[in-house]
Amino acid sequence: MPLKKGVKFTEDGQRLDVGDGFWRTATARGTYKFYMDDPVVEQVVFFGTMREAGNPVSLVLRLKIEDQQIAEIETIVIRTGMNPSRPADTGAEAFEKLGGPDPLFLEEIPPAERVSRDELARTANKYFSGMQLNDGKGDYSFFADDCSRIENGQLATQGRNTVADGAAPATSYTVKQGCRAQFETGLIHFVTRIRDRRFVVLDTMHGVALAFTFFDHAAGNTRTFQTPDGKTVTAGPTNPWTWEIAEAFKVQNGKIHRILAIFQRCPYGMNSGWSSWEDGMSDKARW
Amino acid sequence: MRTRFLKGCFGGFLLVICAASPLRVARAADESCDRACLEGMIDQYLAAMTAHDPSRLPLAKDVKFTEDGVQLQLGDALWATAGSLGTYKLVFAEPESGSVAAYAVVQENGSGALLMVRLKVVKRRITEIETLVARKPTTSILNTDNLTEPHPIFLETVPEGDRPSRQEMVSTVGKYFDGIEQGNGDIVPFDAECVRIENGIQTCPGSASSPLGALSCGAQLSTKIFTYIQSVNPRRFPIVDRERGLVLAIVRFNHPGTQQTVEVPGRGRMTMGRYSQWPNSTQIAELFKIKDRKIREITAVIVTAAYRAPMGWE
Repeated sequence: MPLKKGVKFTEDGQRLDVGDGFWRTATARGTYKFYMDDPVVEQVVFFGTMREAGNPVSLVLRLKIEDQQIAEIETIVIRTGMNPSRPADTGAEAFEKLGGPDPLFLEEIPPAERVSRDELARTANKYFSGMQLNDGKGDYSFFADDCSRIENGQLATQGRNTVADGAAPATSYTVKQGCRAQFETGLIHFVTRIRDRRFVVLDTMHGVALAFTFFDHAAGNTRTFQTPDGKTVTAGPTNPWTWEIAEAFKVQNGKIHRILAIFQRCPYGMNSGWSSWEDGMSDKARW
Repeated sequence: MRTRFLKGCFGGFLLVICAASPLRVARAADESCDRACLEGMIDQYLAAMTAHDPSRLPLAKDVKFTEDGVQLQLGDALWATAGSLGTYKLVFAEPESGSVAAYAVVQENGSGALLMVRLKVVKRRITEIETLVARKPTTSILNTDNLTEPHPIFLETVPEGDRPSRQEMVSTVGKYFDGIEQGNGDIVPFDAECVRIENGIQTCPGSASSPLGALSCGAQLSTKIFTYIQSVNPRRFPIVDRERGLVLAIVRFNHPGTQQTVEVPGRGRMTMGRYSQWPNSTQIAELFKIKDRKIREITAVIVTAAYRAPMGWE
């Protein structure tokens, strides 16, 4: 590999020597592959599947290129047991069943409709701002009518429908709802902070924005809140923990059409290894 | 030195008065924190935490707080979720270094969690707060129901003439971690009756029905079943309580995931523990009772972490 002197490598937020961690245990490539690149800042991100001692794992890989050499390597490796709601599932098998990314991610935006990098990032960031301490009262018109979301290989929204056609239980949104309807429930309040929002790919040609970030669940008094219809609800995680996330957005005409996320559980408040403590704790987006 | 002292005492004119100044003596006494003072700090800490109110604590201006190796604002994480305290509370201290720590059970929205908290106190103000919190499901083994009160041996006082030096006690405990790395219980000075409790569950000696049978702590190590723990580092020994014969070690076990099985004499090839299967680490606060210069009792708080995740104090 063309490694730049002083190359920095992290796995799951921890700085390691290149050659350690997954480098010692990876055994084969998987079949799911999705590359997102940003030539302006010379960064590329790969969402894919791999094998580790024969077990399927999901991999997020970011490379930063300088002088045609690799200067930064950031990885998240999702292994069995790291997802409390689906402890036996890394998402890798589900990704491989999908075959590849939704074709919409790969379609070019007509030149006349392309927006600036700033505008692309700002639109995608509305998703994080609308979810953090979600109250159901925001302006969620940034979701396109055909919006859908895939999380660790699983469809997390109802098809392409933004209408609340799935009846939500009293304390939780449901995958039977669309992107917008889920936000309108006000029941995603338990995501108390979305911090260290680093947009590392802003591909204006394809309308693709990709951010590394963390979803905190503080689980304290924020568990009790009011929904838009005035009901008092107590819901969400019962102890503090965090999702370590890489999330890609397809944005066109100022609206989010597709969302693709890979994530795993990590210690509450963890730093990415790429941010100062202050930036790591801030909910301000950076690019 | 003499010159500096004199300048500090009004240029030397009032040397005699200065040296004997009641104000100065009183201030020195006010600033020290003996064992009772340190243990009182733990009580204050636990009370403030369950009240979700850090302002009740005597905090230094730049106090540093970590939970599970992550630096956070004091008031966040377990401070926001802690419910009632259980009956289990094990406190120990090293007054010489202004250090005190406790193991305690705390309810968190209906589930028991096991807390280790270490405080560093300077001039009666808390400058460092390090915590590890074992919870489900991030910890594979945890049973807080077993933890109702500390084993009395941890509270026994060692007669003054029989207390080993700090250095010797740390060296004794260091051999335990060497024994894990090397898969050799023979190099560890275990008492024949040594018992180890991890997150409330006895893990040595084993039971007759466990995969290794009823092996002692040392014999377990010698099977090499734990050599997937390729290294124990960093190793810190922030508290040595010589009065009670206790050593607190805060360490990280590193599991690179490169060895999953081992040949155990008499038992054939065995699969190692769950954490041998992929690169990961565990962050551990382990308390050792040293009796007659041997390791007599061990109790540990263990938290799963990313491979080589910093503990926040290196």
